[in-house]
Amino acid sequence: MKVRLPFRPQQAIDTPYSIQVEGLTKRFGEFTAVNHISFEVKKGEIFGFLGANGAGKTTAIRMLCSLLQPTEGKAMIAGYDLATQPKLIKRHIGYMSQKFSLYDDLTIFENMQLFGTIYGIPRKELKDRIFSRLEDLHLADKSKTLVASIPLGWKQKLAFATAMLHRPDIVFLDEPTSGVDPIVRREFWNLIYEAASHGVTIFVTTHYMDEAEYCGRISIMSHGELKLIGTPTELKEQMQVDSIEKVFVKYVVR
Amino acid sequence: MKELRQILKKEFTHIFRDRITLFLVLAIPIMLVLLFGFTISTDIHHATISVLDLSNDSQSKALVDKITASGYFEVVSYPKSEQEIDNDFKDKNIKLAIIIPSAFEEQLTNEKFVTIQIISDVSDMNVASILNNYVKAILNDFTNDFNGTATMPIELCTQMMYNPEANSVYMFVPGIITLIMIIVTALMSSITLAREVETGTMRMLLIAPVNKAWVVVGKVIPYMILSFISTITIIVISVLVFKMPIKGSVWLLLAVCIVFMLTSASFGTAISSLVKTQIDAMMITMMGLFLPTALLSGFLFPIDNMPYFFQVLANIFPGKWFIIAIKDVMLKGSGFFDIWLYMLILFAMAAILMTVSLIRLDKRR
Repeated sequence: MKVRLPFRPQQAIDTPYSIQVEGLTKRFGEFTAVNHISFEVKKGEIFGFLGANGAGKTTAIRMLCSLLQPTEGKAMIAGYDLATQPKLIKRHIGYMSQKFSLYDDLTIFENMQLFGTIYGIPRKELKDRIFSRLEDLHLADKSKTLVASIPLGWKQKLAFATAMLHRPDIVFLDEPTSGVDPIVRREFWNLIYEAASHGVTIFVTTHYMDEAEYCGRISIMSHGELKLIGTPTELKEQMQVDSIEKVFVKYVVR
Repeated sequence: MKELRQILKKEFTHIFRDRITLFLVLAIPIMLVLLFGFTISTDIHHATISVLDLSNDSQSKALVDKITASGYFEVVSYPKSEQEIDNDFKDKNIKLAIIIPSAFEEQLTNEKFVTIQIISDVSDMNVASILNNYVKAILNDFTNDFNGTATMPIELCTQMMYNPEANSVYMFVPGIITLIMIIVTALMSSITLAREVETGTMRMLLIAPVNKAWVVVGKVIPYMILSFISTITIIVISVLVFKMPIKGSVWLLLAVCIVFMLTSASFGTAISSLVKTQIDAMMITMMGLFLPTALLSGFLFPIDNMPYFFQVLANIFPGKWFIIAIKDVMLKGSGFFDIWLYMLILFAMAAILMTVSLIRLDKRR
């Protein structure tokens, strides 16, 4: 017998925010990895998420991507409730991590096709999207190259393109530029700006303080808490220093 | 389903691009079965023996003929006294001496009770016990030929029942199938799943709106197919080359193999859910599953001879149940109702482990 569930509207709630977090907490036993963090991110905003290693950034991101169940707190991601609609959230977010995470022994095209199909993009449409993205990246003639044989900088850009294939509303970038040279980093940030200009919300973590300056707003996490949020200029004024690096050091070391 | 198909496709691409692994996975079973079949054989042919025939009548000659005709023994000397037998052991390196008492035919006919003495060289215990068994079988046969009611003072070994020639290939084939299935299904699945965790691609897959079960199933199925191919190869070789019988239903045999494949795959999945790296996955599968299976499943050492603790321990490794089941089907011709319990045990193990690993994967995400 099939049980018919009561009709529930699956539309996203329309707000100017694409991420709204309230009192989000994660405890592992006695240890509180993330302690009641609250913030909002507007649509199309580039939101920098900073913090020392072990400050709880990764745990927070994993919760926001619905990879980890929060112990407490609420979050609305892309207009969906984290507690009740994780599947819908997954459809509307993209993710790319510091660790390059495409398959080395598949070709560029096969990698993109795999993830595109998993995200439910129809076959023909997917092929068009892949090739138009590859042309933007000047990689169209390399579509049959094994990912193992291309340089890291290209790989990172490719991973970003793959994370964007299903046109997510929000893309989470976990230290996307670690380990690549300054030129590629600059190119990568151009891609980020371009995506943001199309209304995609960018949620990015980084350890490069110059990159933090590129963000619309930044937040700094320390010991599981998130108390410092604002535009780079605001934060510098607040802490009375002249660079984000000094803000970071002053706040985290304090 | 589309997602599952895509994951299967990707996994097969991984497998076909990794030619060396593919070759090893397909070639090792063939090599193993040929190796065990031809070289590590415990069959002994033309063992040198001495026969001291004290009666020298027609029945004693018939017995000696029977022993020679079996092909297992070659009589290299006919000593005249027990003293000479001692010398044969030293000089002619005989493995066994048989002493037929005087008035053999007469005793056999009138007293229906004869004692035949066998002296073995037990410096190699395995060889000695195998040869003893051969002689017992031949004597039993001889008695039956002579007179159905005659009893020999030697008890028959029941182990000879389903494998009258004590053909060791029959014993090894189920063991080889078991080990190959564990390598190809359990080891390869645990490694391939751990690889995704290690390289970070697992997180990409789990962040995507795809059912976690499809990810695991899609990654494990290709290795199950490979191990099924290997299993069929082993069975075909043992039937064609080593004339191993399949007395029961071939379909039942394949069904048992499929159930065991599920069990191995679940062990692999469960192991991979405990580890973060490929090396850990490999070590745990080899040390925690492969080795205990090889040692405790009854294919190298009989379970009945183990200390009680190990007899109990053997029960938690699926190999034991699988080996019993396929031996029964192949050698005894058992049907489904004889072996359903073993299949149920294997299936239950698979179900429990698969559930546990999916829950763990869900938790860790």
